[in-house]
Amino acid sequence: MMIRVKLIANYREALPPEAKNGVVELDVPDGTTVYDAISRFDIPLNDESVIVLNGITVDMNTTLIEGDMVTAFSAIAGG
Amino acid sequence: MYGWHLKILRVNLTTKKVTQEDVDPKIARDYLGGRGWAIHYLYKEMDPMADPLSPENILIFATGPLTATPAPTGNRYMVVTKSPLTGALAHSNSGGEFPTWMKRTGFDMFIFEGKSPEPVYLFVNEDQVEVRSAAHVWGKDTHETTDILKAETSQDARVACIGQAGENLALMAAIMNDKHRAAARSGVGAVMGSKNLKAVVAMGKKNPKLYDSAKMVSLSVNTSKNVGVDVKKGSNMRIYGTSYVPQVTNTLGILPTRNFLQGTFEHVNNIDGDALKNQYLIRHTPCYRCPLSCGRLTEVPDGKYKGKGEGPEYETISSLGTGCGVSDLAALLKANYLCNEYGMDTITTGMTIAAAMEMYEKGYISEEIIGMPLKFGDHDAMIEMIRKMAYREGFGNDLAQGSYRLAEKYGHPEIAVTTRKQEFPGYDPRGSQGMGLLYATSNKGASHMEGDVAYEEVFGVPVKENPLTTEGKPELVKHFEDSFALMDSSGLCVFVAIRYAFSKDRMILPERLAEMMNFSTGANYTPEEALKAAERVYNLERMFLLKAGSTEDTLPYRMLHEPLPDGPAKGKVVELDKMLPEFYKLRGWDEKGVPTKEKLMELGLPL
Repeated sequence: MMIRVKLIANYREALPPEAKNGVVELDVPDGTTVYDAISRFDIPLNDESVIVLNGITVDMNTTLIEGDMVTAFSAIAGG
Repeated sequence: MYGWHLKILRVNLTTKKVTQEDVDPKIARDYLGGRGWAIHYLYKEMDPMADPLSPENILIFATGPLTATPAPTGNRYMVVTKSPLTGALAHSNSGGEFPTWMKRTGFDMFIFEGKSPEPVYLFVNEDQVEVRSAAHVWGKDTHETTDILKAETSQDARVACIGQAGENLALMAAIMNDKHRAAARSGVGAVMGSKNLKAVVAMGKKNPKLYDSAKMVSLSVNTSKNVGVDVKKGSNMRIYGTSYVPQVTNTLGILPTRNFLQGTFEHVNNIDGDALKNQYLIRHTPCYRCPLSCGRLTEVPDGKYKGKGEGPEYETISSLGTGCGVSDLAALLKANYLCNEYGMDTITTGMTIAAAMEMYEKGYISEEIIGMPLKFGDHDAMIEMIRKMAYREGFGNDLAQGSYRLAEKYGHPEIAVTTRKQEFPGYDPRGSQGMGLLYATSNKGASHMEGDVAYEEVFGVPVKENPLTTEGKPELVKHFEDSFALMDSSGLCVFVAIRYAFSKDRMILPERLAEMMNFSTGANYTPEEALKAAERVYNLERMFLLKAGSTEDTLPYRMLHEPLPDGPAKGKVVELDKMLPEFYKLRGWDEKGVPTKEKLMELGLPL
């Protein structure tokens, strides 16, 4: 199934060249979790990162469905 | 004494009399400095019911015990006064270089009273204090004013001044320092204008003596290493500043779009941090002694939006950009530069134009009244409105009163997204419930700088809280409000304080700030005392607010009754009634939000 991963600001350095506006499409097997999807990328997987599914705070073990968007950014932000 | 000079410079603009005063060391300790000292004097000396634009209002510039010390980002000052926009308290914060230079005059605080009959500026070089004519810079923008006043005083001086907006008493006028830095909110620039005070020029060599200089320097070096040298974190702020936040808030569906009619913006990629980096970024521009360096110099090199300056910050992108439905980045930069030059708060400016755009599209204000069409996304009309606001020309006079008075005048108060008549910053509280409680209860009206719980709800600092729920938010808001009162009073920038001291253990922040203030002042604060002092400051500000007659803690119609139509927070309104009673209880306030006698006595405040 197809899902999307979006990385923001400096995390975009971890994206492959085909990414557009920080978004890359991935073909992943059924049962893929938020953690599985995001751990493909070289970003910190601890409190330094905020990871959301379709903009919502969820458990990292949540199973993805077709069309989902996983977004990650550095927690050291603020405006 | 260490850390503080314990000296105030008092300037009566009516009589031109200048006096120096000592500060009682007990008051200094109990109220910390900066914002804390300022509210102590404001509450003691002025009638909270006074007209904010009358000579009876008092205008205070206040530095803290960490300003002009080696503390990283010990470079802030607060402007405290009664706001003409809100009728409530104003306390607006700024960094850059001016605050450090101000403290090096040997004074911690400048207090301005009365009103000069003609335009003047204040020049302070330690004990040389002169109220000089400003006739030759009246009418000039903040950049030209800064250049002229430095040329005629000293290139070693630093300047805080108002532009045309402040002179013309536009209610969103800011006080700009070092050209690009703003004590922006609540119309503090209009108060300066009402006093005919065009500028304050400061210089000197009186750095405060430190109680334990070696420990302060060592702590500063370590903090800078932790905060700024980390390549990923540091470079993030240096390249993007806050300009990447639109992508974050858009993801969460809380990016103010078209006057809060929506929470996501379809053209966000056109105006985000990467678009800025790839097209207009020149270099990062730090405030004095800042390891983070979030400021950025940008330039539109040619075309009709040609210009150069600092910014935009996130709050400017979410007001003049998405708030107005504007997706042309060059035009947005031009609007930002103009606000800095005229001396205007970009949040209130942008969101007031956004409200006017909605009213125009709904047919509540005609093209004839405005003088041109004013649709969402019309960036050229937006730029023209900024100029008209600064000069209060034509429809610009309506806009210069802010969105609350604008919407009320044209019969549709439900359009204004304000609390205490002040426009919301860039986090739609329908999708960040804690921010809703903050905006509703803030003593200075809607402001993220009153206690930015978006750090937890949005950015995950120090932990990620679910922004859509209300559980635990009253405690979170109180914690952030008190923490911000502590940081604002100390003279540190919240950006570094948050990165250095925010932790899952909520006592770490007062522990680390108390340690820093002790190295500076020798006042021997325990963390509990530092936090108690911050709570004292917050409650005294509340008392000022109540005496100024602004009492109701609520939210505008849209936030309580119009669910977000899009994004992850679709269908949500702010559930204020679920949070407010618990918040009052935690604060030790009664059911109307008034501090109880017991709370005032506990804090040693006047009953």
